[in-house]
Amino acid sequence: MKFLLAVSSEDYSRPTLRMGSQIAKSFDARLNVVYVGPKPKEFFAGRVSLARDSLAKWEIYHPGIEVLRWAFQDLQSSGYLENSGENGFDPLNMVEENDRYRMVLPGSYGQEIDLVLREGEIIEELRKECGEEDYTLSIIGGSKGRNMAHDLLQYLPTSVLVMKNLDIEKSYQILLCVDDSPATDRAVRFGGTIAKKMGMAVTLLTVSKHDEFGEGYTNAAKSAAQYLDSLNVSHEQKFLTGNPITTFVGAAGDDHLITMGASSRSPLKKFFLGSKPMKTLEQADCPILVVKGQ
Amino acid sequence: MLLDIIYWATQRKWLIIALLIGALLYLLPTPHGLILSGYHTLIIVLTAILLIIYEPIPLPAVAMLILVFQVLFGIATPNEVAASFMSDAVFFIMGSLMLAVAIVSQGLDTRLALGIINITGHKTWRIVAGFVTVCAILSSFVGEHTVTAMMMPVGLTLVRHASRDPKKIMKLTGLILFSIAYGSAMGSIGTPSGGGRNVIMMGYLSQFEMGSLSYVEWMKYAYPMLLVEIPLAVILLWWTFSPEKRILDSAVRKLKVQVAKAGGITGRQLTSIGVFALVFLGWVFLSPTIGLGIVALLGVVLYLAFGLVEWQDLNRNTNWGVIMLFGAAISVGLQMKDTGAALWVATKVINMLRIVTGDLDIIRSFVSIFLTVGLTNFLSNAATVAVLGPIVLNMGGDAVIITLATALASAFAYMTVVASPTCMIIHSSGLVKPTDYLRAGWKMTLMSIAVLFLFIHLFWPLLG
Repeated sequence: MKFLLAVSSEDYSRPTLRMGSQIAKSFDARLNVVYVGPKPKEFFAGRVSLARDSLAKWEIYHPGIEVLRWAFQDLQSSGYLENSGENGFDPLNMVEENDRYRMVLPGSYGQEIDLVLREGEIIEELRKECGEEDYTLSIIGGSKGRNMAHDLLQYLPTSVLVMKNLDIEKSYQILLCVDDSPATDRAVRFGGTIAKKMGMAVTLLTVSKHDEFGEGYTNAAKSAAQYLDSLNVSHEQKFLTGNPITTFVGAAGDDHLITMGASSRSPLKKFFLGSKPMKTLEQADCPILVVKGQ
Repeated sequence: MLLDIIYWATQRKWLIIALLIGALLYLLPTPHGLILSGYHTLIIVLTAILLIIYEPIPLPAVAMLILVFQVLFGIATPNEVAASFMSDAVFFIMGSLMLAVAIVSQGLDTRLALGIINITGHKTWRIVAGFVTVCAILSSFVGEHTVTAMMMPVGLTLVRHASRDPKKIMKLTGLILFSIAYGSAMGSIGTPSGGGRNVIMMGYLSQFEMGSLSYVEWMKYAYPMLLVEIPLAVILLWWTFSPEKRILDSAVRKLKVQVAKAGGITGRQLTSIGVFALVFLGWVFLSPTIGLGIVALLGVVLYLAFGLVEWQDLNRNTNWGVIMLFGAAISVGLQMKDTGAALWVATKVINMLRIVTGDLDIIRSFVSIFLTVGLTNFLSNAATVAVLGPIVLNMGGDAVIITLATALASAFAYMTVVASPTCMIIHSSGLVKPTDYLRAGWKMTLMSIAVLFLFIHLFWPLLG
């Protein structure tokens, strides 16, 4: 299993990096930390590249390399990477592969993580990155721009964890949204694993717009509870009626990790009408994990 | 599959919009006073501007689209388009981009660093004055991005030595970086070789048979203006980024130690300086006969022949797409003149502005300066000149003055990151914000426009 973790800067990405790396560890997944920096306008790209070559001779590197250096050091200080005492991070070990730069890390570091630098438009580059390697999950920070996380959710082929308003000092519980959609089962497995490995309690929430809950809903809720029992994860089950999105958001507050399956709507409908996960992401005040695939 | 199509459409929306606007205009009747091929040329220009600003497709693709449309719309035959694609101005842009690679790779930056700090000492304002002056004077001969590429490591190393915490010296960082970027951009007006746009305007002037300007004549008009601007720029930058540290004694000391490790000047560096001196002499004495571009290419050949640079390095760092785009832009610029489209736009603009004032000189100055300054901050300065040049030269008045005013105004690209290569280069450091360009840029722009007006009306008439 391989996770992609996108970082932007030391100031904004520390919580995402800390929590994201813990989740990767809980799945025993390989972690690729990716920085996407702004690409110079094509008009000037050659001249900027010339200036960068000149700067490198003075050991002044691309700002993205400094962000990756910080990420590497933070992963060492948080204990995610073992501090073996050897100098793992060397900007001279950056190699160009296709349209990205990858840091070649020595020894055991190289088996645990990859550090990747890309330049360009964020969504485009993360899509390319997902095409480069077989990622299961993309972890991103809660962007201030509403459309960014929204578009990433729509266009990335992987499951997406958006660390919206994440506070690493806070203890989070998981709010597992259960319905009869095909992706719910995978969401339950994903959420259940995180809960077990990270010691989080789970609330299973099933919301119906009507007063009655159909057989599909009750079966899905029952199956989810059985799965959590099998993992020995403590959980409570709730059945509520109302607007699903406002109910999810209200129940989650700011101390839950909302976990839900991806919408089964067609891409065209999602583009024009949106989807339940997208609208939940827009309104929620907490991190949200949207699980895609079967 | 459907998701990929939706994604493609969202990412390429400006391609779709530009082509839709082009198609819509194509279907509309030809405006009065304009022949069909002139109208089609204007459609190509408008579509190309949108594609250059938003870059939904790579620039070489835009260049090819311009050439293809000229033939498909029946504006010119394939051979005519091919002939107009290459000119001395394009040779100059190609040669100067390669010369930049050759010069930057010589490691002369350490010599420059030592020279500046030996003269300026450790007071911040003197260092800033040194950066602006050296960048301006050097870039007037070797081109703005070459100087920025050489000076930025020096500036950033100094800043790094001033404090380990970048947040404590943000203003100092801005001050040093903008001194380099604006100094270099400002200096590019000094001689024709300061920037490709100067050569493009000179090319239009002679190709349209409206007059001519030699290297030295250009300097007579523009260099005094550059010398007046240097102290004013230092004052404006100091006012905008009043630095946290007024004295950089320990930073200067550390920089001196670092630079000293590079040792004395090498034979290779001396040869490199010698070759550039020959190129400069060629521009001054030979360019009226063989052209600025040919001299630049001759310089590149000398750098290669002396083994001062490898072809692989030139090839890797030369943006061939930009060269293609300039070739295509100049080609369509010539068609604007030949089809009467440039004259038509110029007449329309003058008639429109006559509502405000009847003074044609003011109108010409307004268009050549303000429109150029406006467009240059969004479209890159050389592209602005390639598009606006044929129009402003068709507005009447003294063609030499219009040529100089437009080329010089296109250097006032201070307000946005995308305005000039120097702005983009310092932005790539990650240490300056887009708002910094506005903070400092509007002052620099107003100052530059005011100085240019004074020169047009007070100094240039004295030159005859």
